[in-house]
Amino acid sequence: MATVLEHTQLPALARGFSLLGSGGGGSTTMLELALAGDEHWPLTLHELDDLDPALPCLGAAFVGSTMLLGERLPGEAPFARLIAAAERWLGHPVPVVCSLEGGGLNGLTPFTLAADRLVVDADLTGRAVPGLDQMSLLVDRVPGVVAACDTGAGGVMLAETGRPIDLERVIRAATIQAGGVGGTVFAGFTVGDLVEHSVHGGTLRALELGTAFLHAASAPLGELATALGGRLLGHGRISAVEPDARDPHVNAIGIDGEGGRVHRIITRSETLAFMTDGRVEASAPTIIVALDTVSRDILEVTDLTLARNVAVLELPAPAWWTQRPERLRHVVPSAYGLADLDGAA
Amino acid sequence: MSDELRLSALLAHPSNGGLRVVAGPTDASWADVVIETTEAELPGRGERRIAILTAPPPSTPWQQDALVRRTRDRGFLALAVPGADGFGSGTRSLAARLGLSLLHVDKPMQLAKACWHLLEARDALTLGYVRKVAQSIEYHADGLPDLLRHLSSSVGHGIALVDSEGVLLEAGGHLESAVHAAIDFAPWVDLARADTGTAASVRVDSPSREGLRIAFFGDGLSDPQLSALAVAAEVAMPAVAARILIDEVAEVSDASVSSAVLRDFMDLRGAPDTDVERRMLERGWRTAGYHLAFRVIGRARLDTFQLLRFVTRELGAIPADSHATTSGRGVTGWLTFAEPPPAQQVEAHITALRSLHVAARRDFNVATGVGSLESGSAGLTESLSEAADAARIAVDRSATGWFVRVDGLGLEQLLLAWTGNDTFVPAARSLLAPLQEGGDELFETLSAYLDHESGIAATAAALGLHRNTVSTRVQRAQQLLGVDMADPEARLALHLACRAVRESG
Repeated sequence: MATVLEHTQLPALARGFSLLGSGGGGSTTMLELALAGDEHWPLTLHELDDLDPALPCLGAAFVGSTMLLGERLPGEAPFARLIAAAERWLGHPVPVVCSLEGGGLNGLTPFTLAADRLVVDADLTGRAVPGLDQMSLLVDRVPGVVAACDTGAGGVMLAETGRPIDLERVIRAATIQAGGVGGTVFAGFTVGDLVEHSVHGGTLRALELGTAFLHAASAPLGELATALGGRLLGHGRISAVEPDARDPHVNAIGIDGEGGRVHRIITRSETLAFMTDGRVEASAPTIIVALDTVSRDILEVTDLTLARNVAVLELPAPAWWTQRPERLRHVVPSAYGLADLDGAA
Repeated sequence: MSDELRLSALLAHPSNGGLRVVAGPTDASWADVVIETTEAELPGRGERRIAILTAPPPSTPWQQDALVRRTRDRGFLALAVPGADGFGSGTRSLAARLGLSLLHVDKPMQLAKACWHLLEARDALTLGYVRKVAQSIEYHADGLPDLLRHLSSSVGHGIALVDSEGVLLEAGGHLESAVHAAIDFAPWVDLARADTGTAASVRVDSPSREGLRIAFFGDGLSDPQLSALAVAAEVAMPAVAARILIDEVAEVSDASVSSAVLRDFMDLRGAPDTDVERRMLERGWRTAGYHLAFRVIGRARLDTFQLLRFVTRELGAIPADSHATTSGRGVTGWLTFAEPPPAQQVEAHITALRSLHVAARRDFNVATGVGSLESGSAGLTESLSEAADAARIAVDRSATGWFVRVDGLGLEQLLLAWTGNDTFVPAARSLLAPLQEGGDELFETLSAYLDHESGIAATAAALGLHRNTVSTRVQRAQQLLGVDMADPEARLALHLACRAVRESG
């Protein structure tokens, strides 16, 4: 059954995707502004069952430094040339668009293409993840997926490979060449492929979460967590930010918790684990969200600075990841080389 | 094992492998010790023990948190691991929160050995200390302080030589007065315990000094450690006693040698002599420069060596190059300056010497004389003999507190000082004895006549007599004494004799 989304629901949708970002995935502000015009609304969001499984589908996302998007705004139709390249390569038009990454700003990206395409409520991650090889289609090794991306100065690259890590590496390299951030489009799969190999209903979940969050934002922390269907892991003042000796992207953030509890958030490009008193309380793919205790802003990992008062919530992981061990191993902390943090999903 | 392993005892152990408390309880004690490579190998039941891990801990804060947590969850009360001093504040507060003593150790196996010493192998602990004492005796020591330093650094605890009044010498730390107060001076061996520390002491059998004890001390030593240290003190005691004697003998012989050098130098009366010069230089006595001599002599019999020891110690407080040695029945010393010191400085030094004298009078019945500031070898001789003269005068000067300086004396006083001695006064008496025939008036008149430059008129005026009376009496005295008053030397001798007899009264 298709859902019609109204312009007024955009803020809730955006907050929902911020929560699903688990501390990463980039700020939704830029896309909220891009979708601010009334010409985009109302939007029709299709469920997978509504569409013919044989319809070709594509996914679009911004890749690279999401922070750069705020400094160098993307053009009017950032994905047009990429989609054209993919369609040319495939030899047929692609009428359906889904989300590549169901957390952070990319949760909203498909809506920028809604004018020409059917938007289907499916995505390839269900939360923010740092690597393209973590896309569900690649994790499950669905054949025939191609990816097109910006290479800078109007250039386009299209890659087709059976080895997911190659896609991650060449697109990462091309994105760096393009200036640190750029569009990426996945194509070569159908709506039918998404039934088994994607996270369903992420947009509606984001809408639900966002609505609940806006409603309960000023409620006591425990109440807020319950309203979101999650759990309050802890709250306190950040007393230490210790970068990891081996991986500079990894930080262990120490929090002086209530009653002397010692909390730690372990972050990379997203929040990966949460510990209390030396015990792992939550770890990826569970969604771990840090809020500013006072303003109730949803914080990205880069916002976790010394002396800030934060509250940390846990939201259930997208079930798709935990269904099979071979899926799970792509998103647990050990996938990033972090030992002794897995298993509290 | 009924006794527990205490953290304070381990910290006080000299070879504990560099143990330091990083976080958690500091007054902890444990039932036993477990040593493993990693946390995973520790037994499931900690049973109030301390866990020592030999492998370095994981590097990330969350793994360190987990290490602390799991060790505590197994029931251990302490975790000693190399590199624990690198743990962050979060892990430290977690350890404190969980009540786990988090300890850093450089050498875990050494710590394990220390635990074994304290728990099971007390004889080994004692033997270890005794062997260390023996090792330190083997090395040459320059004196008692040096020997104590050797003992302290070898045994790994502080050592002090004490009497009931306080600490005489100490090395390797400071013996708190509370601990000193806790020491019982009666028994042969004493184990003292106070809030601020502990000490194991043993009586020193020294023929020359009574009531001494040597004590090994440290903070937080356990009973086994104290007992072992008491044995170490017993073993070290004979060496300390012998050293006290040796040092005394050396001091006495050193004093007699320097006393001889000074005597030889004085005998030269300023004449250059290369041998004496060399011997003086060997003692660090320079004749060049400016000298201010002093002499402290006994007004009664006293132990000049004890006096020298006192004076030498007190001289240390005077900021000048100073020397002292025994000489005769007193102590002679001097201050030497490379440049002529300003008058103010000289006064300050004399004031200091006066304080020295006052201090010395508390223990010794002494008189002190100070010479004037003189330069060079001859000057030193002069200043020294001035000091000797002044001291001789000071013996009878209660008015000046038995302290006299030459600058404050008239020449006359000096002259009298020379003639006022035991040999001259009897000679003068016998010289003037014939005058007794005429009663005191002949002596009075002769003295006045000599005092008034052999002037009849002046003498008559002074005595209130007629000139002829004076003239007659002088002639009479001249006849009785058989002295030619025209001879200047005879007249001088007569004058001095009169003065000496009058002064000696």
